[in-house]
Amino acid sequence: MPGSRAYLWFIGPAIILMVLILLLPIGIAGALSFTDYSLGNTSANFVGTENYERIFTRTTYEKMFGATFRYVFVVVPLTVLLGLGAALLIHSLTRFGDLYKTIYFLPVMAALIAMAIVWEFAFHPTIGIINATLERGCGTWLETWDWYAAGCARTFPLWLTDRDYAIWTVAFIGVWQGFGFNMVLYLAGLTSIPRSLYDAADMDGAQSGWERFRLVTWPMLGPTTVFVVTISFIRSFQVFDTVEAFYPQGGGPSKSVYVMMFAIYEKAIQQNLMGIGAAITVVFLGFVMFLTILQRWLVERRTHYV
Amino acid sequence: MSKIVLSGIGKSFGSTQVLRGIDLTVEAGEFVTLVGPSGCGKSTLLRILAGLEAADAGEVTIGDRDVTRMRPADRNLAMVFQSYALYPHLTVAENMMTPLKLRDLGLAGRLPFVGPIFARAEHLRLRKQVHRTAATLKIEALLDRKPGQLSGGQRQRAALGRAMVRNPVAFLMDEPLSNLDAALRVHMRAELSELHRRLQTTFVYVTHDQAEALTMSDQMAVMMNGEILQYGRPAHVYAAPASLEVAKFVGSPAINVLPGEINGTGDLSVMGKTLIPDTRLARQPVSVGVRPEHMTLDPDGPFKGVIRHRENLGSDIFLHAQVDGLDKPVILRSHPRLLAGTGLAEEVTFSALADEVHVFGADGLRQHVAKPSLVEVG
Repeated sequence: MPGSRAYLWFIGPAIILMVLILLLPIGIAGALSFTDYSLGNTSANFVGTENYERIFTRTTYEKMFGATFRYVFVVVPLTVLLGLGAALLIHSLTRFGDLYKTIYFLPVMAALIAMAIVWEFAFHPTIGIINATLERGCGTWLETWDWYAAGCARTFPLWLTDRDYAIWTVAFIGVWQGFGFNMVLYLAGLTSIPRSLYDAADMDGAQSGWERFRLVTWPMLGPTTVFVVTISFIRSFQVFDTVEAFYPQGGGPSKSVYVMMFAIYEKAIQQNLMGIGAAITVVFLGFVMFLTILQRWLVERRTHYV
Repeated sequence: MSKIVLSGIGKSFGSTQVLRGIDLTVEAGEFVTLVGPSGCGKSTLLRILAGLEAADAGEVTIGDRDVTRMRPADRNLAMVFQSYALYPHLTVAENMMTPLKLRDLGLAGRLPFVGPIFARAEHLRLRKQVHRTAATLKIEALLDRKPGQLSGGQRQRAALGRAMVRNPVAFLMDEPLSNLDAALRVHMRAELSELHRRLQTTFVYVTHDQAEALTMSDQMAVMMNGEILQYGRPAHVYAAPASLEVAKFVGSPAINVLPGEINGTGDLSVMGKTLIPDTRLARQPVSVGVRPEHMTLDPDGPFKGVIRHRENLGSDIFLHAQVDGLDKPVILRSHPRLLAGTGLAEEVTFSALADEVHVFGADGLRQHVAKPSLVEVG
């Protein structure tokens, strides 16, 4: 029916909701990022790109990017590889698969704040289980490792409060917490690979497990991998709970764990500097947007088989 | 060229026995079809022959080699799968190249990107081989496409190409035509037969479609419940089924089974009408199988029935006639022209060609009828 406006009734509710809860807030954040607005003020001054200039010049924000990228580039590869490894191992099991699935998935389900408290105890320099265990190894062959010997001679690192270790420790917890999620995604991907492809690979002369993996498993997991990598990137950029739990003030020793999400929280909420907080948010949005577009492009270009 | 011998093959999945001591000899160059209803173990037998499944008992020999414990790759067999199982991320050419690469190239030659540089001569030779096979199957135009961009028939050809490219000892095919539409299936039947004639290689073909078995194979094995019920030339299996089960399975529409009896003097009677006198068989109840084409409309025929359904195929017409005392309608074949006037619910009389009936004892096995009389008895 030409001229009919019925379609508006079909797409209208979705569009209104999307504008209200997604696009409008993003627009407001974008607008605020050019001002010095504080919550409670009746007005704000337009400051141009000053907030953005600060983000890309001040050392605090240099540290923010440093911490964020360190975290992301440790956590993403490790969670993806461990997730794939765990999925392959569990998939090859005939028994107890569900048990292992549950065990690896537990950290994903657990509240990270609570888990952070447990880890804080574990990493505690005097009463923590980690350093206590390491001390047990003193006097053994492990001391041939210089780092270990140094630990025995003086003391093992203060994992959470030493600025050389803090971000890696937080990243380790991120890996521990995150790879179970990727494992589940990979397991779903693995079960959808048709059995006959492995039969075909056997007939074609694939002798080793590695050859089967190269010829069938890995290519067939292509779409899953693109998704897993993207979601891992986004989740790692979003890291906040552990940082907030360990370092409620200041983002860790010498701001070495000052990740983006925490920076937004600190600036916009704790210090009520909405303008700069909004600017970081926009930068953050830019990263996530870039990754998502990259994913779409990859999915359509490379891994679209059927 | 080597002969394939399966002896005493047994296989169970859990407590279900899928194969019960199968013996089968496939002569070199033969086209052998394993046919049977789904779940009869035919695919499992093929997978055991391929090496994809291990047998619980028995031996597989190809040529003079005992390959029972050998990996599939070392048996030099090629398989075409029902789903084709083409690697979706590789082009047709790469798919066909895969078995050659995995067999003929060393580790260095198989490396991505640099492989073709390390083993240049080898790569060129393999590529030539792929092109030659593609030319045979007329799929050269498809070589650069991915399986996702091909139609069912083209995928079928690509899968055949991947199987053919390395000149295997035998081709194993697991219901390769069942994913194609009816017209293409009939076309591919002829094409596979033609391919077999040209390659002169052994084909072992699994299907549940008895028409494929009848039309393509040199020998067919009818399998049911993990056993081979009959092995022989298709024409022979059709003309002289060894048991009632085989008779029912082979032929479409299915054979008519009528209750019969052999009396004290050896006369065979069906529904009270003597069909063959003096069969020299002992007195017993029997099942009498008559194929639809051996039933003829006959005004003086001994049997009466009411037409319930007509299937007009153009060249033939099948009449389903309800006969008193039988659960299933009797199916007769006739010619549409002869039946112009016959409509539904009409009563017809018909007779059975006495020298074409099959007599099965209570155990379901074929009974040899001595010198069947050629005279129809009313």
